[in-house]
Amino acid sequence: MSCQRLRNWIEERYDVEGMKRLARHKLVPVHQYEIWYYTGGIAMFLFILQFITGMVLSFYYIPYFEHANKSIIEIVTKLNMGWFFRSLHHWGAQLAITALFIHVFSTLLLKSYRKPRELLWISGFMLLGISIFFGLSGYFLLWDERAFAAVRVATGGAGNLPVIGGFIKAFLRGGLDVTGDTLTRFYAFHVSVLPLITLFLVGIHVLLVQYHGMSVPMSLEKKPLKQIPFFPNLFYKDLIIWLLVLGLTVTLATLLPPEIGKKADPLAPAPENIKPEWYFLFLFQTLKLFPGEILGMNGETIAIILISCGILFFFLIPFFDRRSSRGEKSVLFTWIGVFYTLYFIVMTIIGFLS
Amino acid sequence: MKRIIFAFLSVIACALDLFAQEAAPVEVFPTAPYDRYIIFQSLALFWVAIVGLIVIIRMKLKEIERVQKMGIDREEKDIPLLD
Repeated sequence: MSCQRLRNWIEERYDVEGMKRLARHKLVPVHQYEIWYYTGGIAMFLFILQFITGMVLSFYYIPYFEHANKSIIEIVTKLNMGWFFRSLHHWGAQLAITALFIHVFSTLLLKSYRKPRELLWISGFMLLGISIFFGLSGYFLLWDERAFAAVRVATGGAGNLPVIGGFIKAFLRGGLDVTGDTLTRFYAFHVSVLPLITLFLVGIHVLLVQYHGMSVPMSLEKKPLKQIPFFPNLFYKDLIIWLLVLGLTVTLATLLPPEIGKKADPLAPAPENIKPEWYFLFLFQTLKLFPGEILGMNGETIAIILISCGILFFFLIPFFDRRSSRGEKSVLFTWIGVFYTLYFIVMTIIGFLS
Repeated sequence: MKRIIFAFLSVIACALDLFAQEAAPVEVFPTAPYDRYIIFQSLALFWVAIVGLIVIIRMKLKEIERVQKMGIDREEKDIPLLD
């Protein structure tokens, strides 16, 4: 009875029936590539999981270099289920970035970036970049010697960019070198700046998806396709996949909890055989390909410039691929997409194994 | 003399750090066998719950698709309404 009264109370004030009708009217095409539609939903689900576990961890984490490492050890060893929440946050991040990479590369290969979805590509690409920075800033909060060395290398690499490199490096580090100030700065990025930007971009991205509808691959665009309503059909399928992803995240968090290294010492040399996080391995391997000096210029600077150009081209690909936007086949950009995907996978594997 | 002894002892105390053993790695997973048993048991139950939920959602989805196939979910136009 009270439930009916509550329903009436809401229905008197809001057009619930209209909203339901709107949800029922959103249709999704059915075809052999529809599996790729789920990757965006998986990434969003993992983002929500990250927000929840991150909030729990922030109750106990101390963002000061003297106590940061110790506070994480205390979260893991003294708090009830602390180890689990920290591990869940770690694996949630790894899987979210994996889902985003798969989402971006599937969009690239299916050419879903083509007109009129350029802004969807731009917002999605920015979300990937932000997620990677989320990963780096979160890793640094551990304040152990590996994280310290990784941030020193990453911010140093950004500093090699001509003209703006020095500014970026100083802005990220909060000084000349990686110090306690960098930790405070990365904490601010991790818990306030990046989440706000993420919420804004996810909002825009989801709104644009609603506005344009689901993209159909070019090869199927002219064929008559069966359509199913998003709600409830696709929503229930999404739920099934989210449950499986949750199960996978919890299993990884339980069976493979991440280690905590020795507290960082800014004066100590970097530990041997350090490697960056897996999503930086392709950059790390690319940097290794370049010699120290090319034609009297710093090899690393040239490498950073070339990598930046490659990423910029990737970012602006919808504007270069004119044929796809006209609805014509563009074999060149298919091969460019295949090249980018294979390069990322192969370099990551080589970086992992070497 | 006291100062010399104190300084000497301080140097020895500092030098002892050089022979200190590597700190043991932090245990990132509960070590007590009972805790471990409870954790793995909970993980198994969690998967049982997930499989159960998936079965229920699939049943629900099949029912929705059956109703949609019959077309009885669509509103009829000009249907007489009872006042």
